[in-house]
Amino acid sequence: MKSNDGYKYGVDDLPPLRHLLVLSVQHLMLMFMSLGLPILFCGQIGASREVTASVISFSMLAAGIGSVLQSLRLRYLGSGYLCPNVCGPSYFSLSLSAAWIGGIPLMRGMIIFAGLVEMILAPLVRKLKRIFPPYVVGLVVAMVGVSIIKTSVSSMFGLRFHGDSVSGTDILTGFFTLLVMVFSNVWGKGFLKMYCLLVGIVAGWLFAALLMPGYDISAAALGKVPFFAFPSMPWGMSNISFDPGMMIPFLVIAVSGSLKSFGNLLASQKISRPELERVDFRPIRNGLLTDGLSTSLAGFMGAMAVDTSSSNVGLAGSTGVLSRWIATTAGILFSLFAFFPRFTLFVSHMPRPVLGASIVFAGCFMVMAGFREMFHEYWDQKRTFVVGIALFMGLSTAILPELYARTPGFMRTFFTDPLPTATIVAVVMNLLLDLDRFFRRQESNSPR
Amino acid sequence: MRMTMPGYAVLFFLLFQWVSCTGGNGGLDLSMYDYRDTKKLVRFVHDAAVLLESDENALDSLRSDRDRYDKDDYYLYVYDTSGVNVFHAGMEFLEGRHLGDVVDVKGRNIFQLILEAVADSCNPHSWVHYSWWEPGNIFPVPKSSCHFLVTTPGGRNLVLGGGMNYPLEEREFVRIAVDGAAAEFEKEGKPALGHIGDPCSRFNFRDVRVFAAGPDGAVAISPLMADDLLQMNLLDVVDFTGTKYFALALEKLSSGDAVWQVFLARTRFSRQPVKMGLYLKRAVSGDDTLFFGAVTNLPMPP
Repeated sequence: MKSNDGYKYGVDDLPPLRHLLVLSVQHLMLMFMSLGLPILFCGQIGASREVTASVISFSMLAAGIGSVLQSLRLRYLGSGYLCPNVCGPSYFSLSLSAAWIGGIPLMRGMIIFAGLVEMILAPLVRKLKRIFPPYVVGLVVAMVGVSIIKTSVSSMFGLRFHGDSVSGTDILTGFFTLLVMVFSNVWGKGFLKMYCLLVGIVAGWLFAALLMPGYDISAAALGKVPFFAFPSMPWGMSNISFDPGMMIPFLVIAVSGSLKSFGNLLASQKISRPELERVDFRPIRNGLLTDGLSTSLAGFMGAMAVDTSSSNVGLAGSTGVLSRWIATTAGILFSLFAFFPRFTLFVSHMPRPVLGASIVFAGCFMVMAGFREMFHEYWDQKRTFVVGIALFMGLSTAILPELYARTPGFMRTFFTDPLPTATIVAVVMNLLLDLDRFFRRQESNSPR
Repeated sequence: MRMTMPGYAVLFFLLFQWVSCTGGNGGLDLSMYDYRDTKKLVRFVHDAAVLLESDENALDSLRSDRDRYDKDDYYLYVYDTSGVNVFHAGMEFLEGRHLGDVVDVKGRNIFQLILEAVADSCNPHSWVHYSWWEPGNIFPVPKSSCHFLVTTPGGRNLVLGGGMNYPLEEREFVRIAVDGAAAEFEKEGKPALGHIGDPCSRFNFRDVRVFAAGPDGAVAISPLMADDLLQMNLLDVVDFTGTKYFALALEKLSSGDAVWQVFLARTRFSRQPVKMGLYLKRAVSGDDTLFFGAVTNLPMPP
């Protein structure tokens, strides 16, 4: 796709170096936010400072390498879209369980296993053409956006822990940041529109600096962290182990992770190549293969599992800047920053409302891109029920988590979040409501 | 207005400088708390304490500006050291009454607990946990209150406090109880175990119960019941992933006096296992070594 005006870049366009760097930094800001996961993870397992530093550094390296690979367009590797990798929240809980059972070596082994599962699933995606008609694809893309609502809104309100109070200043900062991003995107022109997220982050951070002394990190705390350091593998992290008892949970989460990446890659394709009338499954397959490879690579390196980032895809869609070279550059920069822990610590102290507003901003695009895709074609009763029931069931997992906690085991396993639940229900309903056509075909094919 | 790249770089540098240079909470260390609610309450009571320490007529100021000290989530109260309430922003009818003998629904003497808390060096903000009530309601509500002991310019000793209903369980509350129990054991030896195990003592509140065990895992104060129904050696206790968390905590204590050990537990109302924390502290009295501990839920992400 050629650039359609002076400030938008198509998926294969290479922006001038200056733009490329700033646009990459914009995506980098969203990628940095995911570092909260390894920090939280290490805190929960009581890891030493050395282990924490290693997990963070290796997670950055793995996500950076994954982002670069995803932006390539090789025969079997890389979707060739702007779809960077970050630390995957879907793997967080299970990684924690694995680390508790067998320490980081078991977490590494199980992440490698999950990545291999994703790689095995990738070629099957071509067989899914019939069960993923465009309106189901639209639903999946919309649910990718829906699945980040909880994280984004609670962050935008400055909430750190369940049940804690919310301050008016946090809410004000969150909405201020969001409005700066939206105004820059809607009414801005040129650079202002293109860098809307970065403008919003800087404005929001300054706003928070004026209003909230709580968002601070002392010079002493920064000083304790070295400016430059090579990632190292401390004792106790260097082994890799497996546990057959954890295979099933990791298999399920790998399927769920594949579905999420499937949604992200579909969304990337929709925004990068809107002229396509049907889904082109080859880049999707390559993207899933790369996603699995990056996840396994993360396990080998001693990092947390990585996953494609919905927020970054949303940012690309909202700005119309789709160049895959941005993902390449952002990936390289993210990997480089793994060697500069002091800077990483600084960026990870971005005020939560600013962080949340950024994810809301990106998520809006994902939800609406999905809805647009869904309602693009004619609508009938069959579609009403496929999408309607999938939405009811998918959203219910977020609205009624206690209900699903008391359901039979197989439901608890698969109906975990809005995205996998809605996807599974939509596919099953679509197949069920296609039975009449199936039988008609059987009848017409049978000898008279 | 068009912002150039150097412009963004300057702004980012300024942010970096600001972040590196900003300070904390005006000298009040609140880093031990996880929840904003708790920090807000301590800051609120501390500010009032500073006022009372600097102005002999501060009590009159409090009475003339009650709304300021009666917030939606908490209020301020002041006792003299004999147990007479001299100011109560939330329940004015209690002022002037001697409340030193008041016990809560579980039989805990609240003022006695406050006096113990202000004298406890392990409890820097003098936390006390008990049951209270909300005006107009007939059911008890769990409450956690922090206190400051102040001396007015005229030499009068007063205890200021403020509490929150349905408090979020802070790890610090557990640390205070366990460290306090360990300190009491180190001072008095085995006779202290009876008091520490008393359900009405400051070492037991809500679902938190300080227990004690020897280095071999044998129970000295049961973590579950007042009597010893637990037919288990603590070294064999496992969480839902099979991790022997007590044994692991003991192992970590070989290089320190106290440790937080996280473990996972399954509950009926959550799909994911719930993260819990065991705080364990070593205490030595003569030839006896005991490990005091308590378990609590850990803060969960939203």
